[in-house]
Amino acid sequence: MIFSEIYSAYYNAVAKILSKVIEEDTTEKDLQNIIESTAFAESSLTILPALKSGKWQVINEELTTPILNAPTMPLTTLQKRWLKSLSLDPRIRLFDISFDGLDDVEHLFTPDDYVVYDRYLDGDPYYDEAYVKNFKTILEAIKNKTPLKIEILNRLHQPVTLNTLPIRLEYSEKDDKFRMISKGCKYGGTINIARITNIEKYNGSAITLTREKQTEYKVVTLKVYDQRNTLERSMLHFAHFEKQVEKLDDTTYLAHIKYDKDDETELVIRVLCFGPMVEVIEPDGFRNLIIERLKKQKALM
Amino acid sequence: MSSYNELIKNFERIRNYMREFYVYGFKSRNDYDKKSARSYDDERRRLESWLGDYMRFERTRDGKNMFISIDSRVTVHNPLYRAFKAKSFTDRDITLHFIIFDILYDSTVKMTLPELLDTIDNEYLCDFPEPMVFDESTVRKKLKEYVEEGIICTEKQGRTVLYYRALDKVKINVDAVQFFSEIAPCGVIGSFILDKLSESQENFSFKHHYINVALDSDVLATLFDAMSKKSYITVTNLGRKSGEPKSVKLVPLRVFCSVQTGRQHLLAYEPDFRMIKSYRVDYLSDVKIDEVCENFDKYRALMNETQIHMWGVNNRKDVERLDTVEFTIRFEKGEEYIMGRLMREKRGGKVEQIDENHCRFTVEAFNCNELVPWIRTFICRITDIHFSDPFVDKRFKKDLKKMYRMYGIEGGAEE
Repeated sequence: MIFSEIYSAYYNAVAKILSKVIEEDTTEKDLQNIIESTAFAESSLTILPALKSGKWQVINEELTTPILNAPTMPLTTLQKRWLKSLSLDPRIRLFDISFDGLDDVEHLFTPDDYVVYDRYLDGDPYYDEAYVKNFKTILEAIKNKTPLKIEILNRLHQPVTLNTLPIRLEYSEKDDKFRMISKGCKYGGTINIARITNIEKYNGSAITLTREKQTEYKVVTLKVYDQRNTLERSMLHFAHFEKQVEKLDDTTYLAHIKYDKDDETELVIRVLCFGPMVEVIEPDGFRNLIIERLKKQKALM
Repeated sequence: MSSYNELIKNFERIRNYMREFYVYGFKSRNDYDKKSARSYDDERRRLESWLGDYMRFERTRDGKNMFISIDSRVTVHNPLYRAFKAKSFTDRDITLHFIIFDILYDSTVKMTLPELLDTIDNEYLCDFPEPMVFDESTVRKKLKEYVEEGIICTEKQGRTVLYYRALDKVKINVDAVQFFSEIAPCGVIGSFILDKLSESQENFSFKHHYINVALDSDVLATLFDAMSKKSYITVTNLGRKSGEPKSVKLVPLRVFCSVQTGRQHLLAYEPDFRMIKSYRVDYLSDVKIDEVCENFDKYRALMNETQIHMWGVNNRKDVERLDTVEFTIRFEKGEEYIMGRLMREKRGGKVEQIDENHCRFTVEAFNCNELVPWIRTFICRITDIHFSDPFVDKRFKKDLKKMYRMYGIEGGAEE
């Protein structure tokens, strides 16, 4: 249903090549560049010879083409059905999107067909107009690279004003929250959009742009005992991290997981959820965090 | 012997390799089926070509281990989508594709099959030294494919069929497609849309982002299609314990996606057992849509009724015989956020504050074992706990002792 050559990187590369050839005189090097940026590492070994040799008869040896118009393709029914499904997602309210032209199209999926069952219940308020307005203002500011004056409530519920340059929006699927990643803000570069109470364009003197906060990575080594299907469960659970796994014997594995130091507490509880089937080997600091919690637990029960 | 090709005809084999390389990544070449060593080399080479630097290797005593290593928080586009853009085709397929859409450049251009054939021969191929020759049936077949894809339309004038390009009135919002192509089901379809647009700024990144589910997009899309048709399916399910593929007939009812475990399950009515069961989507393949199921709405209503008692994906037991779980946790002054954690993670459970330092969580669910991993995340705060299933209760407490032993904590000695 999805796996079709009409969506292929080769077709896309050839479409771009044809557009270029139609538009202006083109060298083989130009074609090579298009292939490298559009298709895969080894694609030029196939695409260029196929075009030049007349295997694919859309370009001839002199790099001219009988094709008259820059290639385009209408949206497929599958693409339209997918787009139509987005209309039922509450997060679509964050975007100025029109579904004109999709009236006769069936949804590919609806909320009846698909459920996320373990998303946190305090996600962002997509039906709150002030929230949506703030989101759109930030997105425009990111695109136009314009600084913003933002008012948020801090942990003590006191209003704080920040002048900052937003650079992107980070979305967590588990938290169902958007965070603004920004520069120039002394309180750290990450702000939950739902905590913003007021936002306006910053018109003051130039703000000093601090660098985007660099992620400090650490590595934890876990020993995975493959009982109760733990190998598979843990490898999937930690799949979104950069990781490396070694097999020690038929039932024991070592997993090295690279994580953001700021997320250490979260990772500690994620390791705990595997119980005695996953053991922290190193570093000692991380292992001690687990030991600390276990000691407290033992004292309670 | 066929030579290596960067493109592939069948997705299923590469789906398995990608899963192995991405999720596990500890197998060496020798661990794969000996008979398919050549296949392993070809698939590895393809993945290196598609994924570039995301493919890593490590030398071990058993040989060279290939694996895919991706921090999905840093990567703005799911790299695994690239596999869906590697479908093989023939020389004639690609030639016809670009010529047909050039002839039918505008929706107002309408042509019969013979007219199209004449134009292809006389205006497009005639200047090539050895022009391809397309017969009527080849072009008709290609047009039929495109009509099915919805990109070419037909119109009848008497007994004559006219072909023209589908009218495209949809205005794409790039921001929305960029965002949903990463987080919506079958997001790879959004990625196909973005591929046809000119490059644009990337404004989003993603945390807790399980990109592996992309590999199941084709299966998922077919399941959705079957649900919209209210149809039975026949599907190959890889037995988790047996490791053997088995064909099963099901009525697909709903896909349950986890954003905490990286797994997706299909909840489906299995007529042979007369019950709703869950199936891992990544273990399903070769989905065929069969006849309409007259009782689809009835089974879905049953699903809706029972869903409130599902903590995870287990829907097997009788609604009359639910498990109960109850536990109390302690928090200190200044740790009230723990209550907040319980409130946002409680799903169908109930949270009540007992005093200024304690709160209690209770839930009735089909299978209390499904709560165990979550409850363990409160280790260091649990003051008492009770599972109605004695086996789970005993095992939870035994596991705690095992953890004490594992970390050398006094009092964790074997009983």
